[in-house]
Amino acid sequence: MSHLHIPDGILPGWLIMAGWLLTALILAFSIYRTKSTELKRKIPLIGIISALMIVCMTIPIVPIAYHINLSVIAGIILGPALAFISIFIVDLIIAMFGHGGITVVGLNTVVVGAEAFIGFYLFQLFMAIIGRDSIMWSSGLAAVIALIISTSILVGVVYTSHINPEFVIGIEGGHPGELTKNADIPNELIRGINIKSFAKTILVLLGIGWLLEGIITAFVIKYVSRVRPDLILPQRA
Amino acid sequence: MDVAIIDYYANHGKSFLHKAKAFWKIVFTALVISSIILSNEFYMLLGIYISLVTVAVWTRLPVSRIITIAAYPAIFALIFAIAIWNGSWLRAGVIILKALAAALTMVLLIVTTPYPDVFNVIRPIMPRIIAEGLFVTYRSVFILLELTDELIKSLKVRGGITRRKYLRNIRNFSSGIGLLLVKGFDFSEKFYGMMNVRGYGGKISGQNTNMGMNRNDILAILIGFLIFGITIGTIYTKELLQLSTYVLLCSSLALVSSFIYKQFVI
Repeated sequence: MSHLHIPDGILPGWLIMAGWLLTALILAFSIYRTKSTELKRKIPLIGIISALMIVCMTIPIVPIAYHINLSVIAGIILGPALAFISIFIVDLIIAMFGHGGITVVGLNTVVVGAEAFIGFYLFQLFMAIIGRDSIMWSSGLAAVIALIISTSILVGVVYTSHINPEFVIGIEGGHPGELTKNADIPNELIRGINIKSFAKTILVLLGIGWLLEGIITAFVIKYVSRVRPDLILPQRA
Repeated sequence: MDVAIIDYYANHGKSFLHKAKAFWKIVFTALVISSIILSNEFYMLLGIYISLVTVAVWTRLPVSRIITIAAYPAIFALIFAIAIWNGSWLRAGVIILKALAAALTMVLLIVTTPYPDVFNVIRPIMPRIIAEGLFVTYRSVFILLELTDELIKSLKVRGGITRRKYLRNIRNFSSGIGLLLVKGFDFSEKFYGMMNVRGYGGKISGQNTNMGMNRNDILAILIGFLIFGITIGTIYTKELLQLSTYVLLCSSLALVSSFIYKQFVI
């Protein structure tokens, strides 16, 4: 779990818009890249991977507030472009369950999409370095590293939202001030997010989750590579 | 997993929200979500949340179940609130209420609107691959739910999940996910193939394609505008901000009277 479970209305508008814009650009590029792929094959695969991600994401491991993502599995099986499309679909559907704000779907897609992207290329790299027999280690390691990086992106996003709270929520002057000239925003909220305590909590809680997801990814990929090796991209190629 | 229940509620409900068109319900959702985003006032957010619970009562669906489904994000919002804790309960309350109210708004939309109808509204602005992906994903979730039931039964029967053997359990559970993926893919491929044979060309037929409004649509929109209007009023006018406690009181009264009506009249 590296995506933002931040409710609607906490992050500044410009950051939310930037997330949507970036998602739209990457989606456009991904769709362009996958145009040559056969639609009959990719739609069912996107459907089942997305559905599997939804099922897994809606089961929280409560004590550590974690849920598995399977985004690296999506990256390995679908490839980065199709995985990004799949992740957008997943984020859109789970937002309908109220799982994370609807406005942060763009940012969520970027963060989780980065996980799939990094996971895919790391998996390829480890397969090339360690060898094809080590599919379990390659996928597990790729998942853990991808999760660490994507969680760092998440912390970065939250930090970015904190850069200038006065500007972001419009406390003084300028256009944003129009918005809040009479609003009684609590002082505590104006102070913004304590990035250190946020990063500490997130990193401590998620450490166990990364390991768990790494192990699950390794076993899933091992199983799929045995039963349907054609579904794993490098072997298909 | 509540997807099957949500789907059942959406297809079998008979309330005014069920009868309203998907497009107008999306407008209602957008208005309420905008209110939640714009408001940072604890009592106002609490008022919005109670109003949404009142609307949930009006849907004639099991309210406690709907609230439970919508409470799921609160686990993560709580973690977020703890992570940025600075001693203010008000601030933590605002974060948790924003999560709860936004989630309840979305859940109200999906428990009263079948997914294909929601997809149909957003389809024109989506590329084909995403629109089809949304539909096939939705269908695949149900395929997976059936397969998951079978898998869990067979894992339990064959001793695949046993106490204190954590690594073995994780290995078996992961292989189960792999099995779901492979079987689910086969099913999904067959399903998509059959759809194509039956003439599917990327368009999902919805029930309510015309934009004309009926009284149910008007009522949904009115509630949306009422919440949005009061929120905007409290943001821009300081005098109105003091009314947020009255908003809370009125919404609580509406909730109590709706419960009484539901309990004794319906």
